Amino acid sequence: MTLDPTLALVETRKVFAGEGTVAQAVFYGLSVLTIATFFTGIVLRVRKYGRGRPAREGRWMRPSHREDVPEVTTKPSFAKGFWTVATNRTISRDQPSVGMAHLLVFWGFLGLFAATTILSLDYDILGNVSPLLVGHTVSFFHGPFYLAYNAVFNLAGVIAILGTAHLMGRRASHKEPRLDYTRAFKPEEGYSRKRFMQGDWLFLWLLMALFVTGFLIQGLRIDEAHFPGFERWTWMGYLTGLGWNAVGVGPHLAAHVHPWLWWFHILMALAFVAYVPFSKANHMIASPANLVVNDPANTRRLPSPPSGHPGYTSLADFTPKELLGLDACTKCGRCHYVCPARTAGAPLSPRDLILDLRQWVNRQEHIPVVLDQEERPAATGPLAANGSTAVAGDVIAPLTLWSCTTCMACVEVCPVGIEHVPSIIQMRRKLVDEGTMDATLQSALQNIAQQGNSMGKSARMRARWTKGLDFTIPDARKEPVEYLWFVGDFASFDDRLQGLSRTLAGILHHAGISFGLLYEDERNSGNDVRRVGEEGLFEMLVEHNLAALAKADFQTIITTDPHTYNTLRNEYPSYGLDKPVRHYSEVLTDLVLSGRLPIKPLGGHVTYHDPCYLGRYNRVLDAPRALIEGLGCELVEMPRNRTGSFCCGAGGGRIWMDDSFLEERPSENRMKEAVALGVDTFVVACPKDFAMFSDAVKTTGNEGKMTVVDIVQLVDRALDRDRLPSLQAAQAAPEPTA
Amino acid sequence: MRIVVAMRQLADLVEELEVDDSGTDIDREFVKFVANEFDESALEEALLIKEGVGADQVEVVAVALDEPDVDQTLYTALAKGADKAVKLAGVPEGWVSSHTRASAIAKWLESQQWDLVITGVQAADDLDGQVAGLLGRMLGVPHVAVVVSAVPEGNVVKVSQELGGGTVAEEEVAMPAVLGVQAARQSPRYAPITRIRQAMQAGGLSEETVEVSGDGGRPTVRRLYAPEKSGQAEMLTGSAADVADKIIELIRAKGLVKS
Repeated sequence: MTLDPTLALVETRKVFAGEGTVAQAVFYGLSVLTIATFFTGIVLRVRKYGRGRPAREGRWMRPSHREDVPEVTTKPSFAKGFWTVATNRTISRDQPSVGMAHLLVFWGFLGLFAATTILSLDYDILGNVSPLLVGHTVSFFHGPFYLAYNAVFNLAGVIAILGTAHLMGRRASHKEPRLDYTRAFKPEEGYSRKRFMQGDWLFLWLLMALFVTGFLIQGLRIDEAHFPGFERWTWMGYLTGLGWNAVGVGPHLAAHVHPWLWWFHILMALAFVAYVPFSKANHMIASPANLVVNDPANTRRLPSPPSGHPGYTSLADFTPKELLGLDACTKCGRCHYVCPARTAGAPLSPRDLILDLRQWVNRQEHIPVVLDQEERPAATGPLAANGSTAVAGDVIAPLTLWSCTTCMACVEVCPVGIEHVPSIIQMRRKLVDEGTMDATLQSALQNIAQQGNSMGKSARMRARWTKGLDFTIPDARKEPVEYLWFVGDFASFDDRLQGLSRTLAGILHHAGISFGLLYEDERNSGNDVRRVGEEGLFEMLVEHNLAALAKADFQTIITTDPHTYNTLRNEYPSYGLDKPVRHYSEVLTDLVLSGRLPIKPLGGHVTYHDPCYLGRYNRVLDAPRALIEGLGCELVEMPRNRTGSFCCGAGGGRIWMDDSFLEERPSENRMKEAVALGVDTFVVACPKDFAMFSDAVKTTGNEGKMTVVDIVQLVDRALDRDRLPSLQAAQAAPEPTA
Repeated sequence: MRIVVAMRQLADLVEELEVDDSGTDIDREFVKFVANEFDESALEEALLIKEGVGADQVEVVAVALDEPDVDQTLYTALAKGADKAVKLAGVPEGWVSSHTRASAIAKWLESQQWDLVITGVQAADDLDGQVAGLLGRMLGVPHVAVVVSAVPEGNVVKVSQELGGGTVAEEEVAMPAVLGVQAARQSPRYAPITRIRQAMQAGGLSEETVEVSGDGGRPTVRRLYAPEKSGQAEMLTGSAADVADKIIELIRAKGLVKS
């Protein structure tokens, strides 16, 4: 094929300038093979997702939505998903430099992909179709378009190289804990993840080599053409050509080297395309797809078990979204790094969990994978020969599943929108059905089933903590109240925490708040019961509590426990609750900031621990901070704060399980973080936190150095009792003071 | 092989029990009733036998008198793996003596085919463990108490029986027999609520009426009362060092250590 010689002076270049007909035929033959391989891989993956259990209401990928979690999540949309993908914002959120490097590679690669596509459109499509339509070959690959094309896509190539170089340097220079592939769960017979690293490096070097050889060829071509002036627009190629010249490769030699290097580049590019769906590079497709279908409401409001099954047993129980999520994982290790279970030395790492499930699924579906696989001397766990192994118990060990505190740090930090926690709960449901659990957990569940509280105390003793008060809290079942206080098990029954409940009751009473209790009708709310995986018991508790709430006349629910807050606010509405739910820290904030509670500023430095279920789950982050500052304290933040808060280790039912296998309790790890700040007061807003961290102060030997204080105690200390409304009721209404 | 597990309800001891106006029984009106924990071990041992021998060769039948909240216990037994659950009606309300209980169950067993009766070795109101022994006598079969393991072999059951001082005797008893179980080979399994609810929906609970003869001539309860205070504990107060000193003083005063 020759171009019209009159066009020779126009700014363009010949496509296949140096290749003969045979070479072109070979190229097209290989291209067809490559594309066939690529799409075979895609089809295998999509077929695999189809093996899963379709989400309800006929939706294949996106989980069914009842509604969003108000003020916390918004309904996922394709537009928002695409925006997240385009900006790489979830990658740069925690690690800006990595995010920036990835953004460069991402857009650089897309740019080069676009460049190839445009060229193919012009040459292969338009070039072949136009003679049939208009009788001669039409091309737009010349003139200003050609110049702009080269200028823009040279930039794409340069940023891709810069990004890739940064990412390579990061891997090579120092060991980030996130990139340490050591397993949290150590199989007895040993394992090797050497191929994970080989897979990573293969991916990086393939990209780098593709980008670099692209410029080298361009340089040779420009060198060969004696540096036409207009090729200065191809600025990087031009510079590379000058570079060739500088090392002694003149136009003549360039013409000899060019075809060899061209073939090298082309074969590598084709191999790369074929390699994508069978390797780490598959994340280029699966991760954006997962981000688009990701649903942030899913962990806050757990999905039901598969119908007819108590929990997950096989691949067919996983939703297509969960299976896609497995493919989306890039092994970035952020979840591994933030996980309190992994930090504490438990056998759970959310990363390993996802990778194990992925390997287990891919083996069943016979999807070949280039490197990027774990090896073991014996075929155990995820490597077991067939799909008959139980996913909950064999593929993922029971203790691994039981180690999860459901703190949601993994889901929060995952840059590709994987929802680890719901999958863990689905597998726990299977363990509960089999009765594979700690004896202490079993007795807690039996207590909850029989007495409605995990302590096994008589249900009628629930409101006994109110005995020490000098007033009577109204029974909301007998008289109308504004606030219904759902106290929760720990705040009701635990000796260490009953005093805090009385303090809160006193403050609400003196502030003139109308509030009442359900008394013996209250039961465990079931948040942690559900997260343990005991769905039947959860439903029983919901039914009981809703019946009890129906007897009461109130406007708003207040909870003490953030766990209770989560389930009442996010899960009970699906069962019929339609009242707003507030956490006591929010109510106290209102009372103090509105001046309804008169305050004498306290002074002093304190730090504040965000409870997982209050901060990360429900985004109540500013109210407690405003309250602490409203009380005149200076807040010193821990390095892990707000949505990055570090779990105390009690959530997800862990508080009912043995923790003696841990190397260091999460609460101790957290306490050391706080002590390092040099403050002496550790403020909490959760009864479980109060118990966990009071213990941690002792076990880390920080008695005398650090005091754990509930936020209600802080309010109590700051309270100016002389100006309390209840004591001034007879006087004229006082001016509120903030 | 057919195993009958005799179960019963007891007032939940986490409740504050009170003596009623008659002065001979607890006030049953607001008290919650739960399964006797020894009976739960008996059921566990029966289920372990079933799993050991083969699910298709052993039938486990849970039976209980119609006492408060007994349905919950029987459905839980079904959820755990019992094949059948029977509630025996016709029992007088209030406290049932061990004799009455044993005779009601023995009467029902007359109409049944069975190889082994397993029940809890004792209950909070039967600390002497009479029910299993009475059943053995009434049915005219051997009885073994304080059983901690039972494994059938042919026509006999190999039984481990806990004796005093931590000694365990291994014995053989010919079937049919009655066993009073102290503890099963493993702690009782958990019954997920979903399974209990499924059992309730399936409604596999059959109700049968038994004629119960009175306790004629047997001992009757004259008075029921809370333990009377005899002496009081002395609380040591003060710093840890003070308390330690006082303890040492007491130990010396009691002559527990020399010098």
